[in-house]
Amino acid sequence: MIALIQGEMIKVRTTRTALGFAAATLLLVLAVVLISILAGDPSDIDSKRDALNTGGVMGVTLLLFGIVGASGEYRHRTLAPAVLIAPDRMRLTIARLLAYVITAILVAVAMAALALVLGVLLLPGTEGPDLAGSDYVQVAAGAVVAAALTTALGVGVGVVVKNQVAGVVGALVWILILAPLLGLIDEDIPEYTNAAAAGTVGGTHSDVLSWGAAIVVLGAWALVFVIAALLVDRRRDVD
Amino acid sequence: MAAIETAGLTKRYGSVTAVDDLSFSIREGAVTGFLGPNGAGKTTTLRMILALARPTAGSSTVLGRPYTQLDDPARSVGANLEIAGAHPGRKGRDHLRALAAMARIPRSRVEEVLRLVELEDAADRRAGKYSMGMRQRLGLAATLLGDPQVLILDEPANGLDPQGIRWLRDFLRGMAGEGRTVLVSSHVLAEVAQTVDDVVVIHRGKLVDQGPVSRLTAGGHVVVRSPRADALRAALERAGLGVTVDGNDLVVDAEDPARVGDIAFEAGVPLHELTTRATSLEEAFLALTTDAPAEPPA
Repeated sequence: MIALIQGEMIKVRTTRTALGFAAATLLLVLAVVLISILAGDPSDIDSKRDALNTGGVMGVTLLLFGIVGASGEYRHRTLAPAVLIAPDRMRLTIARLLAYVITAILVAVAMAALALVLGVLLLPGTEGPDLAGSDYVQVAAGAVVAAALTTALGVGVGVVVKNQVAGVVGALVWILILAPLLGLIDEDIPEYTNAAAAGTVGGTHSDVLSWGAAIVVLGAWALVFVIAALLVDRRRDVD
Repeated sequence: MAAIETAGLTKRYGSVTAVDDLSFSIREGAVTGFLGPNGAGKTTTLRMILALARPTAGSSTVLGRPYTQLDDPARSVGANLEIAGAHPGRKGRDHLRALAAMARIPRSRVEEVLRLVELEDAADRRAGKYSMGMRQRLGLAATLLGDPQVLILDEPANGLDPQGIRWLRDFLRGMAGEGRTVLVSSHVLAEVAQTVDDVVVIHRGKLVDQGPVSRLTAGGHVVVRSPRADALRAALERAGLGVTVDGNDLVVDAEDPARVGDIAFEAGVPLHELTTRATSLEEAFLALTTDAPAEPPA
């Protein structure tokens, strides 16, 4: 399994996909944190933690990273050489999943470090109580957990859907249009969607979900799609 | 033990049967041509042998075991399918490095196979920039990473220029010279005619013939030329031999030129030429895979 993960890691880092998503995530996190601190005027603990939240950004970018990476194997018809080496499709899919999750965690660590540096430099100058050390730890840990679970969800979606364009467009329609519309049924429902849960795990205050409950919800999203991916892929012919 | 064996292999896509109850065996140490027209089911068969596609019925083994049960597939079988590509944004060397890492093959082997397929100079270019011939060489390099005993190559000459086809022919000969088993599919006979020991011919998903290429091309025709061609033709036909006219020559459905000469002598017809013409692999292939014309309505 370790050899398969190593091979998949080489695959992840030798195309521009991972680099592109990491750069996009970096720029968005930088923009969101700077705007939140400088223009958002955070003045209490919740708003200050929210300003450092990278989970919201990564809930979108790393979801797309997972979808694009996993479905890219089908789009570019690059799956066969790996399957020839590892005919146990379940092991191979798990190895690919872990390679993407490890990459996402590395990106999340960098993003959390960036957000924390900005927070430490800029937040003490704002009104209201200062964040405690435990707040910074929770924001950083939340970023890593949100990145790992969101990327796992993306890989699961990518394997199930196979079609890269359909996967990306479908995810964006879900996050930007359908998930908010669920609020018309019950205003609490959108809090249980993957993107909102990723934000809560990353540090955004939620009246509906605690930090731990948000991790469980996001983990459930990832688990459902990863299991679906494993079951679907093992019975699928390699095109 | 057969290197590769299939038994009743069948693949259906809805109402279409791509491979139909296909059974054949490939002997160890031989180069076998897996021949059939486009759409005959060659790639589908290879995909089933390699566990890339699930058979609707039947089974297959490689080195005596189903592909999924081989202890170390990459070191047992090297396969290059048309569909098995590299990501267009990944450099050729990185593609091989990833596969080598997965198969626990030392990185130095990547450089060896790049040299072997003469792709060193292009190894740091992205695969999307490769010509078809370079992509074929990259595929072959991946095939050889584990130094396997069995090679399965699907249409390896597709897109190659004449120089590339010659290189491939030499390459296959070299592999065979090292005692490896090679199964090479093709719909272009010229690619494999000079290289293969055995052939398996399929058409519309069914086996139509298998065996040594020498048996497939055995027999032939006698070509005869005479200033009294009409009289000779009549004499041959009276003797029950089929005759067709090819320019100034008569092509006789017979393998023994002595018999044709005797018939001409008895008929008192002078001969200016009497030769034999062996059946080419292409002729044999076409005879096996060309559909018979439909019966005219009664």
